[in-house]
Amino acid sequence: TAGNKILHFGACRVSMSMTEIRAGFTAIKANIQARDPIRTLSILSSPRSLHKVKSSDRCCITHHLLNFYMDKVFKHCKTEDSYVNRKISSIANSFLSMRRKLGQCHEQNQCMCGQESTEKFKEILANYEGMNVTSAAMKSLGELDILLDWME
Amino acid sequence: SGELYCSLLNPRHVRFESINMKNVLHWSAPEGTGNGVLYKVKYSVYGVGKWIRKPECRNINRTWCDLSSETSDYEEQYYASVKAFLNGMVSDWVETTRFNPLTDTKIEPPMLSISSTERSITIILTAPEKWKRSPEEESISLLQVYPGLHYNVSVLNKKTKKRWFFSISNHTLVVPWLEPGTAYCVSAQIRVTTPLLDSGFSKEHCIATLKDK
Repeated sequence: TAGNKILHFGACRVSMSMTEIRAGFTAIKANIQARDPIRTLSILSSPRSLHKVKSSDRCCITHHLLNFYMDKVFKHCKTEDSYVNRKISSIANSFLSMRRKLGQCHEQNQCMCGQESTEKFKEILANYEGMNVTSAAMKSLGELDILLDWME
Repeated sequence: SGELYCSLLNPRHVRFESINMKNVLHWSAPEGTGNGVLYKVKYSVYGVGKWIRKPECRNINRTWCDLSSETSDYEEQYYASVKAFLNGMVSDWVETTRFNPLTDTKIEPPMLSISSTERSITIILTAPEKWKRSPEEESISLLQVYPGLHYNVSVLNKKTKKRWFFSISNHTLVVPWLEPGTAYCVSAQIRVTTPLLDSGFSKEHCIATLKDK
């Protein structure tokens, strides 16, 4: 569909509806980020930016992060604003289909996990678990553009 | 002994205005204040602990501060903040929303160079460059920043008022099968699909095809 983008992860090629996800996030970005008062910590970028991860580990990190957002972020981001909630569930649905597609690559052993991606994902989990669940989930959602910028 | 500060109303509309990643902080003076208000500015990298003062924007009376140099790494995101002073009165620090240079910049239209033969027009498009600190610094085209960048080109036959639209990703377009001795006007726009960023259309460039020999 329009705005789908083929992302290449080594031998793995996955079509992702980036434009749709971006448009959904842009619509709620200011609202979500305003709910995150902590400037001194980033779930995805502290202490090292995602951009520092080796390209060979990109597939594995992406696989981990799609699971992370599905299992630990979207479900904890209910707000009092139904418009925002609808946008969040639309983004979650797009992530669900991306996770399914990337999962197929993972099953076909085309999505190898090196030490670097394992360590980076541990950092992300540690950042997340260092906060209460709702704050950590809201901060992670507010960092969706960091993830999308890196994925692309 | 501590100095006693009365409170001053806050600066308003504190925000980044960014064009081709030239990132300038702008704000409006506190309501009801005329001249004489001074400001200071600080900024921080999101996810990093400390606020950093901008010396060149300390005790200034203008309502903008160029933070392009401090925010030039577009893999990072930023906050900036402004405080106002007037006759011993002080405002609070007022912050921007989180600024992402990659998605929050505006892109200027492409530059056009056109030439013609009897029956065709050749259009060469150049994407703007990312802001740089000095002319000596290496230029980075926005094409390198946004790999998915492409161009929408409009070509108008001035006589028949017929218009064509082309969408191309390389930077040269040859429009064939045109009428000799006719004026055509060309305008172009930059389009980035993700993140979604569109420039406006450029000014029209008009040229006539050569007359038939």
